Amino acid sequence: MAEQNTLTPEHPAEPGAEPDRPTGRRLGSLELLVAGMVLLLAGRRWLVGWLDAPGLQAWTTVFVAICVQAIPFLVLGTLLSAAITALVPASFLERALPKRAVLAVPAAGLAGAVLPGCECASVPVADGLIARGVAPAAALAFLLSAPAINPVVLTATAVAFPGRPQMVLARFAASLVTAVVVGWLWARFGRPEWLRPSVRRAQPAGAGRWAAFRAAFAHEFLHAAGFLVIGGITAATLNVLVPRQLLGGLAHLPGVSVLVLALLAVVLAVCSEADAFVAASLSAFPLPARLAFMVVGPMVDVKLVAMQAGTFGWPFAWRFSTVTFTVAVLAATLAGWWLL
Amino acid sequence: MKREVQAILLVLLGSAVLRISLFSDMYLRYVRAALRPYLVTAGVVLVLLGVLGAVAALRGARHQDHQDHQDSDHDAHGHSHTHGPRIAWLLILPVTGILLVSPPALGSYTAQHAANTVAKPDTATGFPPLPAGDPLALPLAEFDVRAAWDAAQPLKGRRVKLLGFVSPKSGGGWYVTRLVISCCAADAMTYKVEIRGAAAPPTGSWVAVTGVWQPDGQPAQPDAVPALNAGQVVSVPEPRDPYE
Repeated sequence: MAEQNTLTPEHPAEPGAEPDRPTGRRLGSLELLVAGMVLLLAGRRWLVGWLDAPGLQAWTTVFVAICVQAIPFLVLGTLLSAAITALVPASFLERALPKRAVLAVPAAGLAGAVLPGCECASVPVADGLIARGVAPAAALAFLLSAPAINPVVLTATAVAFPGRPQMVLARFAASLVTAVVVGWLWARFGRPEWLRPSVRRAQPAGAGRWAAFRAAFAHEFLHAAGFLVIGGITAATLNVLVPRQLLGGLAHLPGVSVLVLALLAVVLAVCSEADAFVAASLSAFPLPARLAFMVVGPMVDVKLVAMQAGTFGWPFAWRFSTVTFTVAVLAATLAGWWLL
Repeated sequence: MKREVQAILLVLLGSAVLRISLFSDMYLRYVRAALRPYLVTAGVVLVLLGVLGAVAALRGARHQDHQDHQDSDHDAHGHSHTHGPRIAWLLILPVTGILLVSPPALGSYTAQHAANTVAKPDTATGFPPLPAGDPLALPLAEFDVRAAWDAAQPLKGRRVKLLGFVSPKSGGGWYVTRLVISCCAADAMTYKVEIRGAAAPPTGSWVAVTGVWQPDGQPAQPDAVPALNAGQVVSVPEPRDPYE
């Protein structure tokens, strides 16, 4: 568990533990930030020396890599979300989507095919849709399907599994079915109080559109990115600690292999644009198990759960992720049995 | 968190991204080369919006001082626009990681803790013939896949040149190793070739090895590590893109 200690030397940088309370006006957040940066700069040599152990170094590299890789997609998703909130009139979305949830959910699920990003982009966009009055069930179906069935991801899958077009078809079908079923389940059983009211319904009155857009972006981005950091810490820790060789022994147990790779997808939190290549490399496992890896990964992983918790709250995140995981494993098993 | 601090965090994060993507090749330690334009765009957007936010905050500071106090109650929930979410303080970690620590690319530690990845390629048509050249410079991943799965065994007797870093073999001996990433370092896959007939250079150093494949006659395995009889081992600088 030494990897988790990596946080320790950076504690001077984390005054978030004691943020600017209304009572503590003498030491504001600006002063804390400046003091933290000065401390970090002064302690840089010590920090770098401390992180020199090979395991810690690998952890830091993976953590930085996850953050760097996710930032462009997070910026894209937040820009889209802020644009939806500030620029798209609510009446347009009401007209664009069918009124009844039974129809709106599959329509939104299919619409996920047009957002060419990975899962980091889809969380803020779904939040923006809900803030604009789209039924949560439909927005959630979009949240699940967008990172899984967009053209970039399907192309990557085709490249990673040459000569097996049925793998692309199975991934598309299983992902879309999962997104729609979970959307319907939410429409039928979901309770509004699980879903934290969206942040941006209260726009500062009197502010212009551009100011609203900029404020929404800064707030949404910082919020989502903060939770991305938590997800990155978790994913990097598991990435460095979970020994891949152990998995090989579980590959040939029938019935277990699907579950093992589905759980690995949750733990590794590989970007949905790259997970097909990782799945292709797990060649000791049967194809349905590798399909489960690609269906579960874009919908449930430690990074994504952290970001959903940040955007929609924990009560939502754990229920939603548990249901999605179960449905995704079932859908992947069925699609694997039928198509592969 | 004040609006000034939000703005500074955006600028810091944006500059960190630009520092490794626009002003250097350091991004190649963490992500694949194709991501560069997106990183530069994202960095520019973050810096720009951060600067605009700072300007607006400074301009608004005069008028809105009283409003700040009214809004501070909402800060605890991170729901207010004037005050940013507390969780954003965590962004100091990636900023510190990128700008101050700048960890190196993954290397021998990762390789030692991973099995070789030689998935059986799903090519129904078989492999194309190897290109000409003596010694033939081959990506390490291709050498591994050909050695394990190419039924025509075109590597037999060919002199090849492989580029990678040194990682130790448990129980003696060493590998020349290369990591392959498809998106970022979190999905790195390890490719190794065991080097025979040459003393091990320092672990983690980069070498170019020229030699001939030594088949061991065993049936192909997904985690097989092929061996190379080394003729020549030359130490080389780390390539610009450390991943294949």
